[in-house]
Amino acid sequence: MVINHCFQKPVSIAPLVIFRVLFGLMMFAGIMRFWLNGWITDLYVTPRFYFNYWGFEWVHPLGGTGMHLLFLLAGVSALGMAAGLLYRITAVVFFLSFTYIEMIDATNYLNHYYFISLVGFLMIWLPANRYFSIDVKIWPDLRRDMVPLWTVGIIRLQIAVVYFFAGLAKLSPDWLLDATPMKIWLPAKSHLPLIGGLMYKSWVAYFFSWFGALYDLFITFFLVNRKTRPIAYVFVIGFHLATALFFPGIGMFPYVMIICSFIFFSSSAQQKLLNRIKSPGQTTSDHSVYQLPARVNSMFMVALGFYFCVQLIVPLRFLAYPGQLFWYEEGYRFSWRVMLMEKSGNTFFYVKEPSTGKIYEVNNNEFLTPLQDKMMSTQPDLILRYAHYLASVYKQRGLKDPAVYAECYVALNGERSRPFTNPTIDLSRQPFSWRHYTWILPLVKDEK
Amino acid sequence: MNINRIKYGMGVTILAITVFIVACSKKSGTDNGPKADGFDKAGMLTNYADNLIIPAYMGLQDQITQLETTANTFLATPNADNQQTLKVAFKTAYLQYEQVSVNQFGPSERVLLNNFLNTFPADNAVIDGNITRGTYDLTQNSAIDQQGFPSLDYVLFAPDALAKFSGSSAANRKKYVQDLLARMKTLTGGVVTTWKNTYKAEFIQNTRSDAGSPIAFLINQFAYEMDQMKGPRIGWPFGKQSGGVQYPDKTEGYHAGISVSLAVANLTNLKKMFTGNNSGKGMSDYLVALNKKPLSDDVIKQFDLAIVKLNAIPDPFSTALANKKTEIEAAYREIQILLTLIKTDVASATGVRITYQDTDGD
Repeated sequence: MVINHCFQKPVSIAPLVIFRVLFGLMMFAGIMRFWLNGWITDLYVTPRFYFNYWGFEWVHPLGGTGMHLLFLLAGVSALGMAAGLLYRITAVVFFLSFTYIEMIDATNYLNHYYFISLVGFLMIWLPANRYFSIDVKIWPDLRRDMVPLWTVGIIRLQIAVVYFFAGLAKLSPDWLLDATPMKIWLPAKSHLPLIGGLMYKSWVAYFFSWFGALYDLFITFFLVNRKTRPIAYVFVIGFHLATALFFPGIGMFPYVMIICSFIFFSSSAQQKLLNRIKSPGQTTSDHSVYQLPARVNSMFMVALGFYFCVQLIVPLRFLAYPGQLFWYEEGYRFSWRVMLMEKSGNTFFYVKEPSTGKIYEVNNNEFLTPLQDKMMSTQPDLILRYAHYLASVYKQRGLKDPAVYAECYVALNGERSRPFTNPTIDLSRQPFSWRHYTWILPLVKDEK
Repeated sequence: MNINRIKYGMGVTILAITVFIVACSKKSGTDNGPKADGFDKAGMLTNYADNLIIPAYMGLQDQITQLETTANTFLATPNADNQQTLKVAFKTAYLQYEQVSVNQFGPSERVLLNNFLNTFPADNAVIDGNITRGTYDLTQNSAIDQQGFPSLDYVLFAPDALAKFSGSSAANRKKYVQDLLARMKTLTGGVVTTWKNTYKAEFIQNTRSDAGSPIAFLINQFAYEMDQMKGPRIGWPFGKQSGGVQYPDKTEGYHAGISVSLAVANLTNLKKMFTGNNSGKGMSDYLVALNKKPLSDDVIKQFDLAIVKLNAIPDPFSTALANKKTEIEAAYREIQILLTLIKTDVASATGVRITYQDTDGD
């Protein structure tokens, strides 16, 4: 009862509105960047084969024009969200178009794309257009000045989940005791002015690892606490700008987190900020508090409870698997494991026709882009997906019951490369499932 | 009581962290951490530019000029003796090309030098058509398999080549050879000029390791050349992709019968590039500075082993395909091991991503 009361406590709508504008603009910028870099063609038009997600085999790329239109749709709907124009529609369109794009090819998976999809989904249900929006200009009755606390809270909680699990993931011996992969990545950054020379020093790698782990674990608590909030946000900016500087390859992620974390500032502070941009003007009692009908509201509460339970279970599902997580990657994706390991692989596939004994070695370049090849070579589910595809391709080429074998070598966290797959197992007969992979060879560590 | 407990807890935590950090820094001082004194990446890149890459291109430029002179003698008097002399000059120039094959970035990537100079197998039918018509545009990207060394190989050294130089299309044929050589000269000359005038400075200054940087280019190209060795140079003609069906005529330098020599030259040069020609300023030394000496040593050993095994295959490769299967299989295995070492272990140790695409990652 008390908790529910707290959830329903009316607060200023300002945080939600500012978040809507920032998120929408950010997404638009991100989509433009993707477009201008030519990545739509590189990632969604050029490849011959796409790594579907299990159960989502119906998701396909839409061809050159189609993919550009889809990105255009996502970009325009992001702008629509920012402007608060036909909000409910633009939010739904953004979520669906963005998520569809991300589901086309699992080799393009990035944690912050997943984060954007989740936030996009949450935004659909929030009254973020009830103030400072074109919708309110058109339909003044929509205006609300206050919203229940939960509408702001779920975004904060989502961000907290990301940070906290990212921090938990770093509590591993490799990361803390050995400072890998930082120890491998930092010397590659010795070109940086002033600090370049430090990049070879061991203590710097330990400092980065430990600071990163502590930051991820605790930043949310400092953002939630009113007293520490301003300094914590300075840390947010500093930390993410540093990661952007050191690891430009992570793209938009630092900026997404900087922008999103702004939502932790208090409603009153954000209201003041908003008032500076736009005077609140006349308000009537009708405009005061956004409220859902009681029954709808309780349904929402149940749904949200369920949503966050899933959010807690999914990153922990790795516990249900035996074997080393970094090696098998069972339960690795969708778990906020960001920049956590250095893993490279190289895979040779052999298609064998049992009736003739003939062996055809596969030229991966024929089917995969270099990026797909690289991603596939270290992730068992992608190896399996590709093996099944190869079986179908060689069947079309006239082979009878082709069997597919993979000889794969993987180097993990600076160790020497080791055999990764069992080369005697026909992968085309291995089913997709959530079961433990028996055809991945156990990790043998270096003797130190 | 409570406060005491908190104080106690904090004390223990701080003590634990201190002990931990001290323990770690001791450990890193002995074996694990990368060397503290760093590594002169700009020096390494300068070595690559000044002592390996630019001289190799200049050598190729010289060799093509000499090839042109020899070719003109042959074209003036097309007889078997002159053809034999020309074959020697052709081999020398082609071997020199193998020294630049790995440098497929910067100026050469901009003009697609490798594609225009060495796309094999050449498209013989289209080449014959070009010669008969006497009209063709070699600058088009679609014309990559109508020119360069593989096309010269066909036009000059195919079994019936000599006879054709005194046949009805002789004049067109001679002009085609001259046009091919002129184009090779122009392209190579352009790359030499760009390297010297502008790209060298750009190359040396950029000591980053991310996609598009010289260090990433080098390692990516090492892996790419090994892929080419395993595929088009050795494996594909050997029937690795085709269930044992061999393609002897799709080898590099097929008509001149120099495929294995070319492959050995390619791999020998690759080793030279990996070690920076033993100057102490090569990728192998960078690995040592990263505390990966065993890896660096293993790669060099594997280079040597693969070169020995390759050398055990006699030229012409097209004949060896039929009667030296054990030797080819053995060389193929060592090439595959070397490829894996470079593509996974070396790339991983240097933090370089094997991909030509510049996308986000996490």
